[in-house]
Amino acid sequence: MEKEKILENLAFAIVEGDEDKAVENAKAAMEAKLDPLETVENGLSKGMDDIGEKFGKGEVFLPELLMAANAFKSAMEILKPELEAQKMQTAQKGTILIGTVKGDVHNIGKDIVSTVLETKGFNVVDIGVDNDTLSIIQEAEKAQADVIALSCLMTTTMPAQKEFIEVLEEMNLREKYFVIVGGGPVTQEWADEIKADGYGESAVEAPVLVKELIRKK
Amino acid sequence: MTSKQVESVHEASLEILENVGVLVRNQEARQLYVQHGCEEEIESSVIKFPRAVVEQFRQSIPSSFTFHGRDPSFDRTIPEDGPIFCTGSSAPDIFDLESNEVRRSRSDDIARIAHLVNELPGYDLFAISVTADDAPDGQQSLSRFYPALKNCQKPVYGSAPSIDEVFDILKLCFLIAGREAAFWERPFICLGYCPVISPLTMDVESTEKLIRFTELGVPCYGVMAPTAGLSAPLTLTGSLALTNAEFLAQTTLEQILKPGKPIIYEALPTVVDVRNGAYSPGGIETGILLMGCAQMADFYNIPSGGFAGLTNAKSSDVQSGFETGMSSVAALLAGLDLLRIGGLLDALKIFDFSKVVIDNEIALMLKQAARGIQFSEDNLALDTIAETGPGGTFLNKSHTIERMRTTPFLPDIADRLSWSQWKTGGAITPQAQALNRVREILSVDNPAVFSAEVDQSIREEFVGLVAGDSLPIAASMKPI
Repeated sequence: MEKEKILENLAFAIVEGDEDKAVENAKAAMEAKLDPLETVENGLSKGMDDIGEKFGKGEVFLPELLMAANAFKSAMEILKPELEAQKMQTAQKGTILIGTVKGDVHNIGKDIVSTVLETKGFNVVDIGVDNDTLSIIQEAEKAQADVIALSCLMTTTMPAQKEFIEVLEEMNLREKYFVIVGGGPVTQEWADEIKADGYGESAVEAPVLVKELIRKK
Repeated sequence: MTSKQVESVHEASLEILENVGVLVRNQEARQLYVQHGCEEEIESSVIKFPRAVVEQFRQSIPSSFTFHGRDPSFDRTIPEDGPIFCTGSSAPDIFDLESNEVRRSRSDDIARIAHLVNELPGYDLFAISVTADDAPDGQQSLSRFYPALKNCQKPVYGSAPSIDEVFDILKLCFLIAGREAAFWERPFICLGYCPVISPLTMDVESTEKLIRFTELGVPCYGVMAPTAGLSAPLTLTGSLALTNAEFLAQTTLEQILKPGKPIIYEALPTVVDVRNGAYSPGGIETGILLMGCAQMADFYNIPSGGFAGLTNAKSSDVQSGFETGMSSVAALLAGLDLLRIGGLLDALKIFDFSKVVIDNEIALMLKQAARGIQFSEDNLALDTIAETGPGGTFLNKSHTIERMRTTPFLPDIADRLSWSQWKTGGAITPQAQALNRVREILSVDNPAVFSAEVDQSIREEFVGLVAGDSLPIAASMKPI
């Protein structure tokens, strides 16, 4: 199969959220000795951009976007060994450490943000739910994170986001990380009040926000 | 649902509990479940519920639930006194009365809302509507319960982040009641918790609350809050079966701890907006799912409740009116006993004073609807029909005059003037009319406030406590 056709099929499988087809076409790309970096950029990412645009216009719904993201991740698993073997790297966009704060185990929103960021080529370290402040900081240090993303769903756990930033300041680490916040009750006003570096109302805003922050670094 | 379908949902729930089970993160709860016949998958912490266990423990749930008010005339028992109405709870933000800007809510807002709810006849209970951003450290819950109890004699419902804060709330209640025993005779607060994080997960801390609050013996019960399409199946039937399974899991633990503990089958069920993932409690599906919950509660012979009448609207407007009206009427007609309806906008995020007054009127209309067509010989009015005869009028009959102040519902907010009267009167909108009512109520001293001696003893006990007073509205607040 010619190169263009494979990439086109790959992008289409992503848009369709067809995990099997995406994996199949990723394999076909490797068998046809396509450049793995180009396969990511003009196949996988092209598909995500296309569906992202449709989502923005309201033509596709959130579950379809998530299916596409899953297909993306599975196809990426096929390409990763090849990228590594050829010592190629997708453009390093930065590392984001993400998790919910202490006392909050609501993970669905956080998981969506995590997935969306991954499909946009960020290195995402997801530390799950119910993290206390110090362990988040430890994990961020370990992961050499650029951005720390904190999620909460309950008004009762929101203060933990504030506390996190205060502790970061006390430990003289505030300048080292960008801290972004999100979750049901969180607003731009709250983000400003606790001196967070950013806030997004919905998951699709996350990559734009993070990109903008890292660019400032 | 037909009674057969109700049974199918029950059967489906038992199957979920038996085969899929519930991830119980709280160790003490796992032990309790296992000691009472459940099975634990050690590696995963998943508890599986044999149907006999579930069936056994649901038998001890009482068929009624009583809320006590600081003033006993406000005591309410459901289902007998139902449907009863309550404010929505714990919004972080509020439309400031004076500036009409949205800001964080505070303890003085709670005082004003409590004062209003005490005066508005549609509300039977006061669920503390907002959080208190001005709370001193360590007094988070006190800064909510104190202004609420100080300004409202109706039963007060709220939550507390920890058992330590509950001890403070109880200490506050004992001081108000005069002595500890007096409070326990008629406990005038009720606490909520949400141990289930859908799907099928019980959290460490909120399950801890279920255990400790239940042991204490303070009135309390859990609320399920599934989101169909996100944390529950998108189909309403599947979502109801899952919610019902979660209810049974939670209530099994309550009944293990205290057989005969009164509870309410209460939920805040929603459907995700699949277009963008938005949280959509204003959807009609919330009303439909609550119809299902009311039927399941009926099947178990226990009282039902739910957040019927929420809205995604950003101001007290047409959308807030139709969303609140539609799902609450759906839930009401299915027999929901407790409706949490009042005061919140923007998917439970913002409290609005005009909305709480408009919802009071909706509550009164719903109570009227629940009374329905009251059948009696007297109400049939055959004598009056004969007396009036063809072509007469009923307007001036004693049958009408005797009943005109009690039989029809006379709205305070809804406008029924003629076009020209309305125009001449300033073309007042329902929202403006509601705010006028707020101003009217809040400009009079609150008769509900407890005595200076009681207040002094509270302020001595809790140093640095918020003032908790319902402040008069600034003269600058003009009618809209």
